[in-house]
Amino acid sequence: MQLDWLLQPLLSQLNTGVLILDSQHNVVFLNQFITRRADLQLAEVEGKLVYTVFSGLPEAWLRRKLDGVLALQAPAFSSWEQRQYIIKLPHLRPVSSDSEYMAQNCSMLPLTAPDGVSQYVCLLIEDATDAYVYQHQLQQSMSMLELANRTDGLTGVYNRSYWQSQLEYETQRAARYQHPVSLLLFDLDKFKQLNDRYGHQGGDAVLIELSAMITELLRDTDLLGRYGGEEFGIILPETNLACAQLVANRICAAVAAQKILFNGQSIAVTISIGVASYTNQTADELIQQADMALYNAKRLGRNQVAVWTAD
Amino acid sequence: MTDFSFSEEQRDGLQELVNIAMGLASDKLARYLNTLVHLQVPAIKLVKTDYLPTHFANRYPQQSMTMISLGFFGDHGLRGETIMLYQLANVDTIAKLLGYNNDDSSEAEMLTDISSILTTTFLNGLAEQLENNFSYAAPRILSSRDQHFAEKLASTAKQWQLALQVDIRYQLIDYSFNCDMILLIPGEAVLRLRVILDKILANF
Amino acid sequence: MALTALICDDSLLARNQLKKSLPADFDANIITASNGLEALAMLRTQEVGIVFLDLTMPELDGIGVLEAIKSEGMDCLVIVVSADIQPEMQKRVMDLGALAFIQKPANAAKLTDVMHKYGLI
Repeated sequence: MQLDWLLQPLLSQLNTGVLILDSQHNVVFLNQFITRRADLQLAEVEGKLVYTVFSGLPEAWLRRKLDGVLALQAPAFSSWEQRQYIIKLPHLRPVSSDSEYMAQNCSMLPLTAPDGVSQYVCLLIEDATDAYVYQHQLQQSMSMLELANRTDGLTGVYNRSYWQSQLEYETQRAARYQHPVSLLLFDLDKFKQLNDRYGHQGGDAVLIELSAMITELLRDTDLLGRYGGEEFGIILPETNLACAQLVANRICAAVAAQKILFNGQSIAVTISIGVASYTNQTADELIQQADMALYNAKRLGRNQVAVWTAD
Repeated sequence: MTDFSFSEEQRDGLQELVNIAMGLASDKLARYLNTLVHLQVPAIKLVKTDYLPTHFANRYPQQSMTMISLGFFGDHGLRGETIMLYQLANVDTIAKLLGYNNDDSSEAEMLTDISSILTTTFLNGLAEQLENNFSYAAPRILSSRDQHFAEKLASTAKQWQLALQVDIRYQLIDYSFNCDMILLIPGEAVLRLRVILDKILANF
Repeated sequence: MALTALICDDSLLARNQLKKSLPADFDANIITASNGLEALAMLRTQEVGIVFLDLTMPELDGIGVLEAIKSEGMDCLVIVVSADIQPEMQKRVMDLGALAFIQKPANAAKLTDVMHKYGLI
């Protein structure tokens, strides 16, 4: 069977861009995949330098690639993952993609004409926009998942495991650079009574409001996490014991001064805070010390700050 | 179980053909990359695939490596995959070797570029020796900084029955860098390769 | 008495290939070595007229053999037959006294040409 007739319909209907350049990088041929998307006619661009036909080509890079293909007579490739596109072409997913141009995979193949002398490069351009879009969605989902993995579902502050890993990290950093770091552990006073009176929904509302209020009082670098039911921890990097005590007093007073609204009722809450500073102990020991200080604050009548001391 | 091993004669023959292919590739590359580059004809070993992960893990302890894969297909059922292993510390040298300015290409792009240049030039030479023709898939990065390369190599190597380990050494006048190339060939293609080798050996 | 020719290559295929490519009218007693050390041992104990020498070999490579031939003042001709065909390598072996450089796989016509030129056939 004579197959020559296949060539034209195949090239024109192929869902791959075909661009043939001579050894000087002049356009010899391009198929409909490219002419339609770039709104060009082959007759207009034939014999012209490819860099003048398509604006915005990465010229230095492409020259090196094409010259390599010609010199080594070996193919070269370009992937959308490393270079999103070579030729600025529109894609067919205008709504769902946030990319202006078609993401492309490109193979550059050496060709020799039947005369055995004239050499060409064939660029095959495939639309990788779908892969690009999926990868973007995947990355977005991954970062949302990562956020969810370290957040407490109720209050939106860090959850215990992430917060504790950060405490490990901050104490190691403090040890390495000889910087201070302090820890506050606080607990909502008489939370059980509060729950009994306003129900669990009331208790939850208080925890949410309290977390939001305290977040407002902290620096961006401070790390607030929910340690257990109504117990929270705050890591204060670059903060010595005296400053940590000041911060604790400010938080304690601010909470006591604020009423929390729930179902039209205004709820008064107080917290007790234990303070400890890093002095080469482990993260677990630091938590224990802050917890003992917190216990003392409770024992001394609640709604106050206590600092851990070594006695 | 099918025996995929090579006789000493077949192994010797393949090694010689690989040597010739590598010589051709080295010469082409030296001309292309300019004469300041000296490429040695590399050492070649036929090894079992399960030997590879441990071998390379021992060879590069604690070093992060990039693994780049490139698949090839030839006539008469010959096919396989090449894996190039690079130490990331070499990236700047590679950039200079290729004449890249740091601004216009990513590290990943430079590594895939040098991989496809090295492997396709070599494989074209090998295809010529085997009187075959290869076509190539685009190179893929299999592992980089965030993943231990030996684990990835183990899972990749498992899919193949024969590995040809090729140590390539580049010497530049001012710098030098090493990379490793592994040629992996699946079982049925090993059988085809042996048939081709026997034909060549029968001529001598 | 016929000339002794030494073919030194680590590959059996390469040695056989070369043997087969030698001109039919080349009347010589052919011996082989599979690395540079073996070759030197033969060169030191017997009269060898011509060596066909590979470069990339274990134990001692072709460059090492050329250097030894030169420093020990051995009286033999050397034709290098190698896959390492870079211009710099060719220059190096010629500087070390090799007669000619032939690209692998050795081509019979090229081999005949070179041998004719140096009066070996």
